[in-house]
Amino acid sequence: MQRMNPNMEKIWMKVQKPSRYTGGELNSVIKNKEDVDVRFAFCFPDVYEVGMSHLGMKILYGILNEMDGVWCERVFAPWIDMEEQLRDAHLDLYALESGDSLREFDILGFTLQYELSYSNILNMLDMSGIPLLASQREGLKNLVVAGGPCACNPEPLADFVDLFFLGEGEEIDKELILLYRKCKQENVGKQEFLIQAAQIPGVYVPSLYDVKYKENGTISSVTPLCGAPAKITKRVMNDLDSMYFPDRFVVPYLDIVHNRAVSEVLRGCIRGCRFCQAGFIYRPFREKSVETINRQCKSLCENTGYDEISLSSLSTSDYRQLNPLLDKLLTWTEDARVGISLPSLRVDNFSTEVMDKIKTVRRSGLTFAPEAGTQRLRDVINKNVTEEELMKTVSTAFKGGWNSIKLYFMIGLPTETLEDIEGIVNLGQKVVDAFYANPDRPKGRGVSVSVSASGFVPKPFTPFQWEPQDTVKELREKQKHLVNCVHSRKLECNYHEAVVSFLEGVFARGDRRLGPVLLEAHRQGCKFDGWNDCFSYEKWMRAFQICKVDPAFYANRRRSFDEILPWDHLDYGITKEFLIRECKKAYQAEITPNCMQKCSACGASCFKGGICVEDRTDLV
Amino acid sequence: MKTVRIWFKKLGAARFISHLDLNRCMARAVHMAKIPLWYTQGFNPHAFITFALPLSLGVRGERECMDMKIDETKITDEELLLRLQKTLPADLPVFAVTDPKEKPGKIAYALYELKMCSETPENAETDLFQKWESFLNQEKIPAEKRSKSGPLVVDLKPDLQIRKIFQDGETIYTEVLLPAGSEYNLNPSLLVETFRSQSGASFFCEYTRHCLYNKQMEPFQ
Ligand code: SF4
Repeated sequence: MQRMNPNMEKIWMKVQKPSRYTGGELNSVIKNKEDVDVRFAFCFPDVYEVGMSHLGMKILYGILNEMDGVWCERVFAPWIDMEEQLRDAHLDLYALESGDSLREFDILGFTLQYELSYSNILNMLDMSGIPLLASQREGLKNLVVAGGPCACNPEPLADFVDLFFLGEGEEIDKELILLYRKCKQENVGKQEFLIQAAQIPGVYVPSLYDVKYKENGTISSVTPLCGAPAKITKRVMNDLDSMYFPDRFVVPYLDIVHNRAVSEVLRGCIRGCRFCQAGFIYRPFREKSVETINRQCKSLCENTGYDEISLSSLSTSDYRQLNPLLDKLLTWTEDARVGISLPSLRVDNFSTEVMDKIKTVRRSGLTFAPEAGTQRLRDVINKNVTEEELMKTVSTAFKGGWNSIKLYFMIGLPTETLEDIEGIVNLGQKVVDAFYANPDRPKGRGVSVSVSASGFVPKPFTPFQWEPQDTVKELREKQKHLVNCVHSRKLECNYHEAVVSFLEGVFARGDRRLGPVLLEAHRQGCKFDGWNDCFSYEKWMRAFQICKVDPAFYANRRRSFDEILPWDHLDYGITKEFLIRECKKAYQAEITPNCMQKCSACGASCFKGGICVEDRTDLV
Repeated sequence: MKTVRIWFKKLGAARFISHLDLNRCMARAVHMAKIPLWYTQGFNPHAFITFALPLSLGVRGERECMDMKIDETKITDEELLLRLQKTLPADLPVFAVTDPKEKPGKIAYALYELKMCSETPENAETDLFQKWESFLNQEKIPAEKRSKSGPLVVDLKPDLQIRKIFQDGETIYTEVLLPAGSEYNLNPSLLVETFRSQSGASFFCEYTRHCLYNKQMEPFQ
């Protein structure tokens, strides 16, 4: 066991936050290797504190470790200092439970949460001495699989990953592991295994698809080989109540990003904001029952000792039983000294009632996301929030004692003008004014309103998937204009690096020809691209140059509706016709009602679950 | 209400957690174990957990303790011990619950074990052993100690009590008693790092704190 290697202790003494690397946390699972025939490494391509906050990992860790003969361990990207130490000592990257090198694992499962973590995937494989290219890994050992939101366009990773999971992982991972075990016992070769795996619904094996390109660089055809399905449909769990949910989490020693018990109250989103990939790829909207959530929260708190529960989802205030749920939770949380937090409140239904019920939680600050500065642009993106609602909400919050508010916006949205940029500042200023208009505002305390503007990145499976992203130059001009418009010291303005949004845009809608670029960027030393202190635009641009790939082709080009997109053979339920309809409505600044008000026939009803199949007679 | 003293070890991975993280970890374990804690009054209920003398990062602790105020009508010491054993990670085993006999202010000394291994090969161990012995045998051992009023040069020699020193294979074992407590505290790493910079030797040192003592050299209770 490498972990017992005395060198490892020396290394831990030399790095920042050694608890990231020691393992041994409460509820971490240690199994006897003799009883295990499939070893699975859940790899999160970011630091421990980020990865450990991720609910999906906790769910899969629980599911896989419940399987007999399967041992799932955790691996995170070591920070720069730790990587240096490991490389200097010629030690491999290891999994936290056993301390064994990744090379010892049958399956390495990466989660794809954001495009900017791709370089870390390569680096993690490299740190374990595992060949990066899928074609160079022979045999079943070290099978590299990946899932998560970015798997909806996994093409840039096609050279490196053996197979992808589309959609929700609760069942599909188990099915794959069972097939893997069978093939391992029967000594089946890797190619044959992949061919069989491709028959599991939701499994996408990129090497079984032949992609051809036209002269203008766009795709001419995608042909399945060896009996692989022409369309791969994502997996969906229809019944959230009977679905597996871990009753214990690994409890870190370190303070991580979300250090609390998390209960998922719903999946999917009814809203259909046109820029938001999550709003489409997780459809349909499905809710857990109050009883289930209550039971799960209780056992989680009992098994972890956490004194805070977060009710998580894309939009928790859309949970229709929110008030009954809070009432139910409050019957025991106060005695147990447990607080409740709601991470994603919406502007339009933030009520005093809910606020009173969650007041046990420390008042750190409130965040709202109007996303665009003018009503016209909010209509374009289908963010159905009015200025009036926002003002009402912030006034409620100010009356409730809050005095710090964060507002999130995007710049570079389709049809945006400078007037929309000015609108961002105006809206921020109105929030400041609303604070001073409140006669019972706390004496002697000022208000702080911060406006944060990120660069818009068009994503697959959204109505904006055909849109050109603003160039770095355009984004920078808009950022400058934004800052120039601010005239109050109460208003703080932040924006994201335009070059980072650009790179994200390239990979979000990229295709297989980005594989060599990624490999070259890795050779140039790119890693932790999502971290300001690590990101190097120069290295990335060098990689594009060396590979003779034009990043603007992916980020800044307008696609026509009839172009074959790199992700067209992946099926997330949402139809292209619907997305085209939505895109055209966007240009007209026409809004689309949410799934609760009216079904817009997006295609997700094919999964026959959740809100799509609910009795809607009351709506007619 | 009464105060109990909980005795635990800090081993393995737990050696690498900071004091703040240890605090949080204990608070969670206590919460999970449903220990009837005595909370301070007021809006923000804050549990009373205090550590006698926190350990530095990386140091193994064989006999650490923390105090907490509990409602003794609701739980026996034995029950408390059992419950905490279940809710703490394996690297933080609790082994006793007692009534505090002394205030943490009575702590005067701490016994440490140093395990040193040379990092340069070939006869390096004997070499390191000689260097270490002659370092310890100097008349004066000046060391730069950090203090609130900036760096301070102190002589470690008068405060140093070597209890044992021997070599076993490639490892050099040293047991040393150092002044400890809130008044004057010497960290063993100060001794070892001073040696490192004076001798230029390259080695790895593992620290264990075995026990805390009062002025009379009785184990702190
Ligand atoms: S099919 Fe209708 S109800 Fe279902 S997700 Fe799509 S728009 Fe919403």
